Amino acid sequence: MGFKDVFLQHPERRYIMFGGGGGVGKTTFSAAAAYWLASHGKKVLVFSVDPQASLTDIFKRDIFGKGPVQIMQNLWAQEIDADKHIKAYQQEIRQKILDMYGLPAVPEEIENYIQAASAEPAMEESAMFDAVVDVVMKGDYDYYIYDLVPLGHALYYLSMAKVYDEWINKVTKLREEMREYEEMVSRIRREKVTEQDQILQELLYIKNRINTSAGILTDKEKTAFFFVVIPEAGVINDTQKAAKMFAQFNVPLAGYVVNRVIPHKLLEQNIPEYLRHRIAMQDQNLVGVRTAFGDQVLALVPEMERDVTGLPMIEKLAAGMFA
Amino acid sequence: MTEEEKESTAKRLWHNITDTIYGMAAHDMSRAALRTRASMEHLFILITMGDLLGIPILPPYYSLRLLPYVVPQIATWKRRMLREKDVADAMF
Repeated sequence: MGFKDVFLQHPERRYIMFGGGGGVGKTTFSAAAAYWLASHGKKVLVFSVDPQASLTDIFKRDIFGKGPVQIMQNLWAQEIDADKHIKAYQQEIRQKILDMYGLPAVPEEIENYIQAASAEPAMEESAMFDAVVDVVMKGDYDYYIYDLVPLGHALYYLSMAKVYDEWINKVTKLREEMREYEEMVSRIRREKVTEQDQILQELLYIKNRINTSAGILTDKEKTAFFFVVIPEAGVINDTQKAAKMFAQFNVPLAGYVVNRVIPHKLLEQNIPEYLRHRIAMQDQNLVGVRTAFGDQVLALVPEMERDVTGLPMIEKLAAGMFA
Repeated sequence: MTEEEKESTAKRLWHNITDTIYGMAAHDMSRAALRTRASMEHLFILITMGDLLGIPILPPYYSLRLLPYVVPQIATWKRRMLREKDVADAMF
């Protein structure tokens, strides 16, 4: 089965993700897949949850933090600005505190907490994945292509989601017990039952958000997750390890795409010894790729003669991917 | 004494009786329930806002959502969590 066949045979897989180590070409492949689908009449949004996003470079358009920007017919690209998102969110919390208690300013201790919380390393990931829920839930597009953060972050988020889910179940239970005590007192004192527990409502909301964002990553029916590898021994090893971990979190693995394969055709030309060695080494590593991933290898994409930026180069790369 | 005054005296009397019965039978119960409820409230704040004491538990992104609701309790909660325990705690 080739890369193209995955899309033709499973049109229901609308969430497309490319994962892999740093610098293997996740963004490039996201852009190329988006381009191909858009030019075949699908409405596509390609978006990045990576703080070091590079869709801007690849499309040669400044899209960072600007919402969905149309690149060509049927194709939109979006880079989420986590920082901006977090700042707006903090402001929302402050405003809520001021409104709820009619305060002129947020108490110092509370303000410190708000600021300290956003300095946490997990803050950015949570904010990104939370923003993704908004993007995907609108459902304006036929395909959503995620340019994922490097492997570690995605795994971290998935494991967080699992722990949080259990954790929130426990907190919700505690909250419900508290509610029972409250109701008991009201009954004894023959008072009216107090108003709805807003915290409980918030907890249920949070639970729903975490489940939705983790759910998209693990949706067997609608999600296709591709690993991007390059023919280098280290990368192959890392990817094998990562694939095992992703499998534990039930990420629906659709296959592997190999990037930066130096074309064999070059051997017919008069090329320097250096390049011949590189090709020989790569051949060995490609055998390694086959042994490691077998028939799950969907495409070998050639190394391009120059950087893949701008639509003509993306089109060229897409042709190689979807051959 | 008019009919109305009679009625209000009877009402007051009835109130006093129910209050006395409540005081004898149920006041302790409801006080204990409120006390348990307050402990749980503090436990709840600890596991959601633990960062305030340096104990991170809930992801901060989501604990911020809960922050506005616990603002009034934070001061008493911190005092309770950080104070030293003594014999009086067991008595009251």
